Parts: sequence; C-alpha cells; structure tokens
Amino acid sequence: MDNFVSGFQDAFQLIIDLDPEFFEIVRLSMVVSLTATFLAAIVAIPFGTWLGIKEFPGKRFLVRIIYTLMSMPPVVIGLVLFLLFLRNGPLGEFRLNFTATAMIIAQFVLVTPIITGVVFNGTKDRGPDIQDLARTMGSSPTQTVWLLIKELRINILSAVVTGYGRAMSEVGAVMVVGGNIKGHTRIMTTTIAMLRNMGEYSLAIATGIVLLLISFLINSLLYHWQQER
Amino acid sequence: MNITIDSLTKRYNNKSVLDIPEMIFDEGCLWGILGPNGSGKTTLVRIVAGLLDSCSGSVLYQGDEYSDSIKKAMTLVFQRPYLIRSTVYENIAYPLRIRGVSEQEILARVNELIESFNIQSIRDQKAWTLSGGEAQKVALARAIVFKPRILILDEPTSNIDPESIMLLEEKILDYYRKEKPTILMVTHNIQQAKRLCNRIAFMNEGQIIDSGVPAEIFGSGAMPKIKEFIKKGLI
Repeated sequence: MDNFVSGFQDAFQLIIDLDPEFFEIVRLSMVVSLTATFLAAIVAIPFGTWLGIKEFPGKRFLVRIIYTLMSMPPVVIGLVLFLLFLRNGPLGEFRLNFTATAMIIAQFVLVTPIITGVVFNGTKDRGPDIQDLARTMGSSPTQTVWLLIKELRINILSAVVTGYGRAMSEVGAVMVVGGNIKGHTRIMTTTIAMLRNMGEYSLAIATGIVLLLISFLINSLLYHWQQER
Repeated sequence: MNITIDSLTKRYNNKSVLDIPEMIFDEGCLWGILGPNGSGKTTLVRIVAGLLDSCSGSVLYQGDEYSDSIKKAMTLVFQRPYLIRSTVYENIAYPLRIRGVSEQEILARVNELIESFNIQSIRDQKAWTLSGGEAQKVALARAIVFKPRILILDEPTSNIDPESIMLLEEKILDYYRKEKPTILMVTHNIQQAKRLCNRIAFMNEGQIIDSGVPAEIFGSGAMPKIKEFIKKGLI
C-alpha cells in the first residue's frame, strides 16, 4: 500500500518538477504512438469502411484474419520485426532496430488491424443504409465517401482512440525493437517495466499514473466531442 | 419520364424472386405497386432505383439506360428512412447542397417545405430524436425538395400514426399534381392505393400479374387471384 501512496506523491512531484528526462520520455511516447496511430488510421479507415460496404468472395475469411490480428501478441510482432530488421535480415539495410522508427512500425502493425476492425464493425451496420441514401439523393462517388465519413465519424473517432490507447499502453513490441535506450528509445511503458525490474516500485507507479492521466485527457476530449454532437 | 422494363429477372440462391417479361410505367402516372408479402415489390423498386442489380433484362428511363443524370432525377423514400446525423433542416437541405444550389435558395426552398409539412417546431431538432411519423415527413420533404422526375416510395406510411399518414398522402398528391412526375408507390393498403393512385401494378411471386386503372384491377372484373388475396386480407 505504501508503494501506491508514495507513487501518487512521486507522480505529483514528477509533474511539478518538470523533470527534463521524464518529459522527454513522455514526449517520445506520445510522438511514437501518435505517429503510429496517424499512419494506421490513414490505412485502416478507408480499408475498414470499404470492407464494411463491399461484398466479395473471401470477405468472411479476410474479416476472420483481421479479428485474429486484432489480438496478436505485441511481443510476437516485435520479434518478427526485430528479425526482419536484423543486419543480415531482409530489411537489415535500413538499420531500423533500436530506433524510434522501428517502434513506430511495430505500433503501426499492432494498431492497424484494431482500427480496421472497429471501423468495419461500425460500417457494416450503417454503411449500406448511408450508401443507399447517398445514391437515392443523387450523390457522386466523392460525395458518397464524404457522407460515409461524416455519418460514421463517431465510430471512426472511437476506432482511432482505441488504437491510440492500445499503442500508448503497449510494451512488448517496442521493448524488443526499441531496446529501451535512455534518451533514444525509452518511452513510458518500457520505463515502467525497467523500474519494476530495478525495484523502484513507487516511481513505476508514478509513471503509470501519468500514463493514465494522458489516457484520461484523450478520452475526455472524445467524450466532450461526442456530447457536442 | 416513363420506365420500361424488359425481361427483368432477379434470383437469390437460384430462387427466382423477380421475373417481369415486359412492363411500362407510364410517364406522369401515380402507380401503386401492390401484392402479398414476398411478391417482389421492394426488389422491383430497388432495381428501378439503381440500388440493386438485376440478373438479366433491362430498365430504361425515357428510353435511356441508368446514368448519372437519371440518378440525379430520381429518388426513393424507404419504409424506414435513414436520416443524416444532423438537424431536420440540414436533412432536407442535403440534396440541394450536393447539387450546388445557393444558400439563399436552399433557405427559401427548405423553409417553404418545412412550413408546408407543418414541421416548423422540429426545424432545428436532431434527426435521431424524431418519432417515426416525423422522420417519414422529413424523408418525404427531403425527397421532393429537388423536384425529382421519378419518385419511388417504398411503403412510406407503414407503422406511423394516422395523422401523419393523412399529411403524407396529402403531400404526395400535392407534389404529383404540381410537378406531374412518375411515382411508384409500394403499399399494402388497398384503400390507400385507391385514394392516391391512378394506375395499379399487382404483383405475385415475382411477377406483375395485372396492371391498369384501379377500377379495373379491384372492380367486379378483377382477376380471381386478386379477389382471393383481397378476400383473405393478404394485402
């Protein structure tokens, strides 16, 4: 119990001290996760929407693959990418292991199926009705896509926030490809894992509390946005 | 704009749901499409509206195939209309916005319809808060705001209150008398068909078994099959 109490005290201290090392960790965490989520959203939103409104042979199989990928263990993703990025691996020439870029790629691979799956689920229920409405109103293909995005915006935003939450809380993949190098690839989740190994429990709890606060802020923004509409 | 159907078929899992060798929906007529459940009424109007592909055959609109210009001159009001996640005003304005109509004209035309449909009190209300009758009024106003030459109505008055039904029927007739479009209205209500329609197409098992003016279709010389459906209350 002492660890929790001192964890809250340390969390408060970390925030008011404006410790540069700690804020660099927070900054890198957010940059990596935001970039990965942004890139995943660019791929997953159109793909999930398309999947929700189109019928084609093999669609059920493809959906099952996406659902499976949604629950793929992050450490497996990290391991596969680590092997691909090894110097003598297929992508070794890019020297990506132990860089922030590798961490972004790992989170991108992790988050893309999640956003695709959530967008697909929202689209398959309402997408055909929206498409029918657009067609009966005389919309052009561009106007139809725009209407779909506007009508499904809450679902799309939820998908992106879910993806971002998953990216921010992920530790296995980024630890394997990033290596938790101080000032270079150290982010909040890898810091918590490291502090736990060092027995610095209250500082680990403090970092976790800051991570939760960031999640709370993002979810509050989403909730506020949903309420407005 | 007349609608000519030639050798139109539709199958689901090798089961025929529509098979119409020939049919012309005359220009400027208000057609009632009647028939028992599962007779292919909705499938027919969805194919005509360009929402569903047929397995074979063709639908021509004033002699032309379905195209962007036909799409822009035609609309369909669904039994359960989808309203966009915005206000009543924005829903009715939507077809005008996508046609690039000026804001000033949108304001004038939408307000005119809102007044005509007596829905001023819900003008700024969000669409998802509306009752079934209100939603159907908004859907009909949205459908006629851009003055389509073909108006398709798929059971527009089912499951709504009698007051709303009366208003919707009145507005359908008003629009018909004023603009003389071709209207196809799917209905289960034989009295409604007699009140509104000047042509009837009666369907059964995917086929149009009889068509003509209501007095012929429902009169003393009606087909025995149709008499049987009416007697058994199947329509």
